[in-house]
Amino acid sequence: MLKMTRLSKIYRTRMIETHALRGFDIHVREGEFVAVTGPSGSGKTTFLNIAGLLEDFSSGNYLLDGVDVSGIDDNARSRLRNEKLGFIFQGFNLIPDLNLFDNVDVPLRYRGFAAAERRRRIEQALEQVGLASRMRHYPAELSGGQQQRVAIARALAGTPRLLLADEPTGNLDSQMARSVLELLEAINAMGTTIVMVTHDPELAARAQRNVHIVDGQVTDVMHETAMRAVERIDASMHSNA
Amino acid sequence: MFRYYLQLGFRSLRRNPVLTLLMVITLSVGVAASMSTYTVLHMMSGDPIPNKSDRLFVPQIDTGNMIGYTAGEEPDDQLSYPDTQRLLASGQGVRRTAIFGINSAITPERADMAPLLTDGGATTSDFFAMFEVPFRYGNPWHAEDDARNSDVIVLSRATSEKLFGDVDPVGRELKLGDASYRVVGVLGEWEPLPRYYRIINGNGGAFAGSDDFFIPFSAAVRHEKRNSGNNNCSGDAPAAGYAGWIASDCTWIQFWFEGASADDQFVIKAWLDNYAAEQLRLGWLKRPVNTRLRNTMQWLKHLEVVGRDSRIQAWLAFGFLLVCLVNTVGLLLAKFSARAGEVGVRRALGATRREIFHQYLIEASVVGLVGAALGLALSFAGLWLISKQSGAMAAVARMDWTMLLATVLLSVLASLIAGFLPTWRACQVRPALQLKSQ
Repeated sequence: MLKMTRLSKIYRTRMIETHALRGFDIHVREGEFVAVTGPSGSGKTTFLNIAGLLEDFSSGNYLLDGVDVSGIDDNARSRLRNEKLGFIFQGFNLIPDLNLFDNVDVPLRYRGFAAAERRRRIEQALEQVGLASRMRHYPAELSGGQQQRVAIARALAGTPRLLLADEPTGNLDSQMARSVLELLEAINAMGTTIVMVTHDPELAARAQRNVHIVDGQVTDVMHETAMRAVERIDASMHSNA
Repeated sequence: MFRYYLQLGFRSLRRNPVLTLLMVITLSVGVAASMSTYTVLHMMSGDPIPNKSDRLFVPQIDTGNMIGYTAGEEPDDQLSYPDTQRLLASGQGVRRTAIFGINSAITPERADMAPLLTDGGATTSDFFAMFEVPFRYGNPWHAEDDARNSDVIVLSRATSEKLFGDVDPVGRELKLGDASYRVVGVLGEWEPLPRYYRIINGNGGAFAGSDDFFIPFSAAVRHEKRNSGNNNCSGDAPAAGYAGWIASDCTWIQFWFEGASADDQFVIKAWLDNYAAEQLRLGWLKRPVNTRLRNTMQWLKHLEVVGRDSRIQAWLAFGFLLVCLVNTVGLLLAKFSARAGEVGVRRALGATRREIFHQYLIEASVVGLVGAALGLALSFAGLWLISKQSGAMAAVARMDWTMLLATVLLSVLASLIAGFLPTWRACQVRPALQLKSQ
């Protein structure tokens, strides 16, 4: 689903060159739920921005759902973002003067769906996050957790192949954070690939795989639950044999 | 997507209403100032008879003597009586007419009414067809009436109503000066703007006033009516009496040819040059051949019907609009900059730069639409104030459909121009930066 090979990102000013990512390798398979962790300034957000086609990279290769995205123009990037990706941000990033229905409608408008299809998808997405009854409400009328649910609904409405979440629970209290995470797990269970950037180890522990970044480079750590799952699969294969 | 962007545009008016109001007011004041002055200019410089203005021609012949002669100088704007008679008889063009102004008192039939002091014109029967003058009652007099010097009269509608009330007065008699005239027609509504057919000496100037009556040119001469306006004589004083005056080279009559087409301007001009050469040979004209033949719009330009002041005012008003536009650019920059976060979100969700450009430009044009509504109201107020300056201004300070539409278009166009830079700036937003900083 997402494959970066020897990727680097260098920010240049007249005086300084900053290597945000260097020799960055990652491979996220379809259906995975990957948590990307690392200390502040390690390159987590840069990785997510490049993964989300919001920023260019300096060198290396990036395949998104089999599409080589190096050197593609702005229109093609926008199209890919719209069709294949969904975003969830720490600050929710809802448009304040649009109600929930219209907020979720935004990516669908750019996709060019007909009105009836848009309505069906919006209602379905808001239903999925438990806010169908509040679709005429405005973001300011909702709690933080509810706003993040709307952001998730907006990301889901276009049925993306890959959901990119940047500290999705960073602005929420623990109870709301738990419910948002449960929602993400449910979405992943339905087949959507999720890459979540977080610096919360507890949150990262709920993911299937944990990719640790330090100084713009990856340390790939398979999580315990995943290891146990692999062991279970192995054991089952042996007993069948 | 256009409808969607339009909806977003109207919705965004409510966001930061103070800034929106400032933009709308700035834009509408600029539009109103420029459109009210431009409307006046437009009305002043309009074509008063668009279907034939290019084939109505005014001749000028240099009838001066050699004292103080300068080669090529502009001939007088009016013609002498002898030249007028010869031009009327020339057969050039499809119609010819001459006109001069008369001040005279009309004594009504009713004894209880005081005489009316009136301004009118002495002309020929071709005048009415040439200038497409509408009639409410009756008809113009005929060419035979010109030939017979008949005492017939055509009244303006206002004069007719003053004298006879709202009835058909055709066939009734009235006294103009000392002579009795039979009414043959009453004009319908006819207020050409500018009053091109008799700008020189027309009562009220080029934009106001009207002629209360018309009588045959030949009858006016028979009754020895004097011209009520300019009378330019060269160094040789006319002989004594009315006969001496009309036989002189004094110029006091305005003349018009109607051609079959615009090309007749060349034909008639050539004839006019030949005529002047012939009259020079015969000794009537003293100066070398120096003639002009202008069509209607050339004639209005020559007479500077639209003054320099009016043009300068219009330029100043458009300069003011430019200042307002610069202010609107600043306000739009502030408004759009505050929405960089939204641009980032939309870009992340799949909007291309072009789509953002369209959205924000349409949003700017919505400001222009609202500005147009307010600008129209302010333009009407501005025109009302202008109309209070004088009668002439009242005549031209009127907004027609063209100017109304132009006001709306100008407002939208101005907002699009003002919105271009802020929109372009909005398109340059780097979504990654905005999304993190939200």
